[in-house]
Amino acid sequence: MTALLEVTDLCVDYSGLRAVDGLSISLAHGTIMGLIGPNGAGKTTTIDALCGFVPQVRGSILLDGHPIDSLPPHMRARAGLVRTFQSIELFVDLSVEENLLVATSTSRWWSPFVDAVAPRRHVHRDDVNLALDTVGLRSLATARPSDLSHGQRRLVGVARALASRPKLVLLDEPAAGLDPAETASLGQMLRNLPELGIAVLLVDHDMSLVLDVCDRLTVVDFGQVIASGVPMDVREDPSVISAYLGGGS
Amino acid sequence: MAHYLQLSLTGLGAGAVVAVLAIGLVLTFRASNVVNLAHAAMGTYIAYVYYGLRNFNVASTQKGGNLVLPVFGVPGVVHLIDRPTVVTALAIALVVAALVGALVYLLVFRALRNAPPLARLVASLGLFLYLQAVMELRAHDIGAGAATLPLTSLLPNGVVRLGSVVVPTASFVLAGLAVTVAVVLGAVFRYTRFGLSTRAAAESEKGAILIGVSPDRVGLLNWIIASVLAGGAMIFVAGITSQLNPTQSSLLVVPALAAALLARLDSFAMATFAGLAIGVTQSGVATFQSQAAWLPSWLPNDGLRQALPVLLILVAITIRGAHLPTRASLVDSRLPVAPVPRRPWLWIPLLSGAAVVALYTLDAQWRLAIVVSVIAALIALSCVVVTGYVGQISLALYAFAGLAAFATAKLELAGVGFPWAPLVAVILTVVVGILFGLPAVRVRGMTLAVATIAAAVAIEQLVFNSPALNGLSGVPNPQLFGSNLGFLAPGAANFRPAFGVVAVVVLAASMLAVANLRRSPTGLRWLAVRSNERAAAAAGINVGSTKLSAFAASSLFAGLGGALLAYELPALSPQQFLVVGALAVLALTYLGGIATLSGALIAGFLASGGVLTRIQGGAAADTTTQYALSGILLILVAAFYPDGLSMAVRRAITRLHSVWLRGVRSRGAT
Ligand SMILES: Nc1ncnc2c1ncn2[C@@H]1O[C@H](COP(=O)(O)OP(=O)(O)O)[C@@H](O)[C@H]1O
Ligand SMILES: [Mg+2]
Repeated sequence: MTALLEVTDLCVDYSGLRAVDGLSISLAHGTIMGLIGPNGAGKTTTIDALCGFVPQVRGSILLDGHPIDSLPPHMRARAGLVRTFQSIELFVDLSVEENLLVATSTSRWWSPFVDAVAPRRHVHRDDVNLALDTVGLRSLATARPSDLSHGQRRLVGVARALASRPKLVLLDEPAAGLDPAETASLGQMLRNLPELGIAVLLVDHDMSLVLDVCDRLTVVDFGQVIASGVPMDVREDPSVISAYLGGGS
Repeated sequence: MAHYLQLSLTGLGAGAVVAVLAIGLVLTFRASNVVNLAHAAMGTYIAYVYYGLRNFNVASTQKGGNLVLPVFGVPGVVHLIDRPTVVTALAIALVVAALVGALVYLLVFRALRNAPPLARLVASLGLFLYLQAVMELRAHDIGAGAATLPLTSLLPNGVVRLGSVVVPTASFVLAGLAVTVAVVLGAVFRYTRFGLSTRAAAESEKGAILIGVSPDRVGLLNWIIASVLAGGAMIFVAGITSQLNPTQSSLLVVPALAAALLARLDSFAMATFAGLAIGVTQSGVATFQSQAAWLPSWLPNDGLRQALPVLLILVAITIRGAHLPTRASLVDSRLPVAPVPRRPWLWIPLLSGAAVVALYTLDAQWRLAIVVSVIAALIALSCVVVTGYVGQISLALYAFAGLAAFATAKLELAGVGFPWAPLVAVILTVVVGILFGLPAVRVRGMTLAVATIAAAVAIEQLVFNSPALNGLSGVPNPQLFGSNLGFLAPGAANFRPAFGVVAVVVLAASMLAVANLRRSPTGLRWLAVRSNERAAAAAGINVGSTKLSAFAASSLFAGLGGALLAYELPALSPQQFLVVGALAVLALTYLGGIATLSGALIAGFLASGGVLTRIQGGAAADTTTQYALSGILLILVAAFYPDGLSMAVRRAITRLHSVWLRGVRSRGAT
């Protein structure tokens, strides 16, 4: 059986600086993988590259066996590879529910003509409600992002990623700014995703969350993988301890 | 070949002026993140000051020395001194320039430092309209119209010979001045504390304050330098070309913007180089056009010279852009709120019915005013879609309307009948609209605004000015199923109501369509792209095609408005579709509320010659005053009601409603 996501030798440059340097990961169906590393290690850049937001210098990305390197970001999202942002990035002009609805909407070139005469209904309301239930924010469906707490906004970001029923979500620090109770329920929710057919690549600094929910861990530093394996082993790895865990956190 | 060389070098003079203006744009952008559309207009005013002071004739009793005041409502001129010398007049003019720069910064842009980019752009638009209107009014005060001002060159008249090539000395002097300015400013910015402070203040205001820099002082100084440079440039250019005209001179800002954008609004050296290159290319292209006999005869005389360099830069900027903004570029794109229209099925038909009743009961002047307002509202609606809902600032909408008007008239005169002529014209407009929307796929924000001005200038210079379109008149009345839907009736100043009904129906249908779109999945996608392009792409939205769909819809409405104009106006001329008109459309729509349906209606109501003009009882004669006032109003609205008048009204209604409810409840309780 092929892996869901197969990344080989991925390299990304920022004007001279190599932010991701020959990174390879393989993520199986129905698993949660943690991607951890110190600040500036290249985790966000990896997500950016996987989703097509920054050009890759080298390497290949296969999703479910199909190469997606040459697809623009929105096509990768439609292929089932969806992300959240470290800086959340909700649509501030839309309500919580609309933030999710727009992520499930489809469009053809003639759709604006149809909408101008007889507006189409939002067909994926069920998915949206399910995603809101998953993060426990159904009651805030009509609220505006500006009315929400920081933690709630982060969860809306996660719900928006889940609403389109992706194959794989890449979560960029979903627990940053969440209080312990919110983090605990986030962990609970993440563990349930594989049953819904959604695999997860989780980037976070909250080690207890990461160790708690992840099946496998990949540790990066300076854009390179320095260790990977099951959490138990990775924790003991000396290079990891020196690069990251031992770094005073 | 030598001939080309000669003309190109002659172009150095004009290029130097563009370069100095571009340097000023870079300065004000660096200092306060404003792309100042009124930059050349400020300089033009200074040129009026200078030539007003020098407006005397040694032989006659005329004493000159009159200072033109830029303030509306006070005496136009004050007498300073008799017969000032060149040096005195220049000194006074440049001091005035410094004052103007300081005032503009202190009164307008300092307050808007943290305002959304669109508000800042609109404020500079307001300044542009205001200065222009004041200059129109003052042209009479300083000496029987600008045409008779003694526009003498300040520069030596001699020529430089390089082999067989003869170039005016003035060109070299000006180019030398431009390069000197760039080098000096470059050095100042690199090596002095002032330069470092400006950069610090541009990076982050808080950071600047922390290291002990006052962003206010830095901003003030930059605006003063920019204004003095603009004044000097415009004085020189008026002297060389013997042309000083509130509109044309102020629009020199367009090539300067192009040069400044090529320099990423950051590099003095690049701005200077690009400015000089524009001048040289323009001169070369002009020679080429005058010599190439195979060029089609409909091409306007000055067309290629005006349009080509700007278009080239447009292409360059587009290629350099990227499909999505990068993570690092914190784009601040706050835009006015875009509410879902409330009960459009109720109030749009009601208003339309009222308009139809008015058309049949009021006199011909009212009929004209209503039709003017309805067409203006339609064009404003196109602005609501593309700028209000999708956040793409487009200043080419009015040009699209003009395109549809000319196409309709041309087709009608060629014998294509009523529904088909406007239909083909509108389809053509939509195609052009999508074409000129293409840069929006790769550039955004202010860059896009400037790109669309460039597009509008290109359409104006290459199409509207064509001799083949000069003075189209006699468009036949539209007929449908045997009934006459025309506007113009025989006899002076008489208008038929049937055409008004057609216009009202077109507007009502368009507004209902936009109301539908706003609450449909398409509308959600538009607003998502407006909010955050990166997040939209991550949500599976094709950002590029979403923007293009908005450009298409918007040019459709602008095209419909233009097609109606073809029947409404007794004759079409290029003067009706100048770029300044496009600026006024954005201005009025912003005033009304750029992201609301009622904003478009308010814009139509305010349009010059429309219902408001009629209520004031005036003929459209006093447009100049109206422009001046709307300029000021625009700056105020940008500063205090960035959501526009319609939202101010809506909020007031909501507040009254809740006060009323509270009153009802408290009465019920007691
Ligand atoms: N837009 C950018 N331009 C240049 N360098 C960048 C940019 N974004 C990130 N970097 C650099 O790339 C490296 C990796 O950053 P990032 O992927 O954000 O790390 P992480 O998410 O692991 O904290 C860092 O050294 C950072 O400074
Ligand atoms: Mg990161």
